[in-house]
Amino acid sequence: MATEHPLVLPGDTIDPSLIPTHKKQPLRLGPGLRHVPPSTILPTVAGQLVTDLRKNSMWVEYNGGRYIPSQGDLVIGQVARSATDLYFVTITPYTANASLPHLSFEGASKKTRPQLLPGALVYARVTLANRHMDPELECVSATTGKAEGLGPLAGGMAFDVSLGLARRLLMARSREEGGVEVLEQLGAEGLAFETAVGRNGRVWVGSDSPKTVVLVGRALTETDEKALGVEQQRKLVKKLIREMR
Amino acid sequence: MPREAEPSLNERQFILQALQENLRLDGREFDQYRPLELTFGDQYGVADVTLGKTRVLAKASAEVTVPYVDRPLDGIFNIATELSPMASPAFEVGRPTETEVLISRLLEKTVRRSGALDTESLCLVAGQKVWSVRVDVHVLSHDGNLIDAACFAVVSALRHFRKPDTSMESGILTVYTPAEREPVALSWLHSPFCVTWSYFGDEGEIALLDATWREEQVRAGSCTISLNRHGEICQIAKLGGTPVEAVTLLQCTNTALTKVQEFSAFLDRKLAEDIKRRDKGGLMAELSAENDR
Amino acid sequence: MPLDTSAYSLALLRVDGRRWNELRRIHAQIRTQAAADGSSYLEMGHTKVMCVVTGPSEPGPRRGTTGGAAAGASKAAAEVAVSVVVAGFSSVDRKKRGRGDKRNLELQSTISNALAASLHTHLFPHSVIQVSLHVLSQDGSLLAALINAATLACVDAGIPMTDYVVACTAGSTSTYAAGDESADPLLDLNHQEEQELPGLTVATLGETDRVAVLVCESRVQVGRLEGMLAVGVDGCKQVREILDRVVREKGKRMVLEGTVVKGEGLEDMDLD
Repeated sequence: MATEHPLVLPGDTIDPSLIPTHKKQPLRLGPGLRHVPPSTILPTVAGQLVTDLRKNSMWVEYNGGRYIPSQGDLVIGQVARSATDLYFVTITPYTANASLPHLSFEGASKKTRPQLLPGALVYARVTLANRHMDPELECVSATTGKAEGLGPLAGGMAFDVSLGLARRLLMARSREEGGVEVLEQLGAEGLAFETAVGRNGRVWVGSDSPKTVVLVGRALTETDEKALGVEQQRKLVKKLIREMR
Repeated sequence: MPREAEPSLNERQFILQALQENLRLDGREFDQYRPLELTFGDQYGVADVTLGKTRVLAKASAEVTVPYVDRPLDGIFNIATELSPMASPAFEVGRPTETEVLISRLLEKTVRRSGALDTESLCLVAGQKVWSVRVDVHVLSHDGNLIDAACFAVVSALRHFRKPDTSMESGILTVYTPAEREPVALSWLHSPFCVTWSYFGDEGEIALLDATWREEQVRAGSCTISLNRHGEICQIAKLGGTPVEAVTLLQCTNTALTKVQEFSAFLDRKLAEDIKRRDKGGLMAELSAENDR
Repeated sequence: MPLDTSAYSLALLRVDGRRWNELRRIHAQIRTQAAADGSSYLEMGHTKVMCVVTGPSEPGPRRGTTGGAAAGASKAAAEVAVSVVVAGFSSVDRKKRGRGDKRNLELQSTISNALAASLHTHLFPHSVIQVSLHVLSQDGSLLAALINAATLACVDAGIPMTDYVVACTAGSTSTYAAGDESADPLLDLNHQEEQELPGLTVATLGETDRVAVLVCESRVQVGRLEGMLAVGVDGCKQVREILDRVVREKGKRMVLEGTVVKGEGLEDMDLD
């Protein structure tokens, strides 16, 4: 892992051999990197440098800091208040609220839109995010008109995790790439629950039994705080299940 | 101004629902504290207390000043509490929130008014020179139950503190540096500790010890009881909140007493360990100072 | 200065001639201020306080006095903003207290939280109930008198509440050091007794045993707590009786004077 993704510190020089080259596509820089003309690339945060040769892109993986919305992210927001035609949604408590139009829910019309009280949780996608405007959200896919799993979250409990864990959980193959297997393990133990992972560092867990929710929450937060590997996660799950019984 | 993060409706409902089923989010028993850690600094009178994710640092210091005119025979003893934005963005410097005022009042009542420190022993020359002992409490990280952690830190810091030795000869007061004479401990009478109960439910029927920040935001009321290990109540503060049955309060006081005895034993053990550690290190430090010159 | 309470064991009478379970004279009036939404005047012995309640009303540009943290955080229920003003002439030594006095802030926050638990504040979202308390004379049991006066004024202001929040103090005849088991609990401490003996202030919700406020600021053996609490709770029931009588009598007089119309279902109300 370490050889694949070398550790970089802000201002480090990046070994030119690490920079991907591609014949046709231009080089794309992701978060944590800065291009200083003419041809220097500097990391701006401490983390692991990841390169993707196929897409000819590179970025720095880092855990922590505060969440900065970017387009297409799935987030768990909390309704702050309702205005005439939109909800103001808090993505993180210390940044400006995002806006979520009343009609951007599946099958919503003026009469059938969901009525959300202040404090309700929604799973939403960021549609607009730039530095000078408040972000905008949607709970329905603009192209298909389907919710695709987005919308208000009923019941359950939201747990705070680090941004890094949230990102790893959202990876398509979270076990191989992200090194988190804890949710699969819990499922394999026969627990019935559903989750929604927000890129803003919140994980919602829903289940009929509060016991299951507490257990999943503890497994997630402990994995996060102690930075457990896959093997340790397995042990943790076994231990928690034993405690619960 | 940044706000304090409000818990969402889902969290509020879930925490209460789970409590009805005897479940806490971190899997603790209702009357179980989070792991309590105490480390002393290299200097005398520095205590760093962690209670789960809550962390409080207390530093005791002393200086010679003039006593108050109305109390010429008493030394001065102050506790200064500061909740900085380090603990939570909702705290601001220089503008005490209600929480901060209540915490400092509670510490004052628990430690100062209960006479834990013998202020008369701080007097050097009546009406002219007294020791002024001051404890600064800094909250480094806030995850609930600041009061218990802060009180434990204050008492630990004061018990650990050594003030410079003094002597009085023919009207001349001499204050010795630590190199000349070993500093002396404060004249300490008893060690009070705070135990905070949080009440949940419409009737306040669920009582929790050591609530986390999340739980504190959802609770319906709280009651802080200060006791020492001899079973003396130093202070009780149930400042409003949902009404609780009187019998429950009595039971809570009795449970608090056993917790306080645990705290007291824990602090005694830590202090003994620290003295042992210093005994070895003290000699070494002196040797190395010689070598420097 | 310590007073001599040793005489108690001889005659079983306290310094002011009361027995252990006697309250001082409580005199209360409601609707004393015509301009306010609710007002009251209360004497517990020589402790005299006044209370004026304004609201529930729209919050003004100036935030409530106890506000700060609570202000703006939750708009779903009315905020109970309490201010306590201690008159300079209220006690023997004329001590100037600043606005930021911590003891005063603690009093305000306690009264505010105690009232908020009984008042149906959720019926008045986005509003403020301003409770102003003035201490005219102090002779012990200050917090208890303030709570009682605030409750009466809230009744007068017609703010819906579950029950009266009533308070009184209780103490114990022996100091913390003495381990004598014969110590008697005492009801309703005056200033002298408060100075010398351990005591606590207890506020209950109406006639129930449920304690809304419990404040103890002196050292006392844990075994003594039960007796003091029992006496205190019992005293609260007596206080409730007295306050209730005051409210009913005022109501009766207002019906007789024709200020208000006698309501439906009150036929059995005694209007002699």
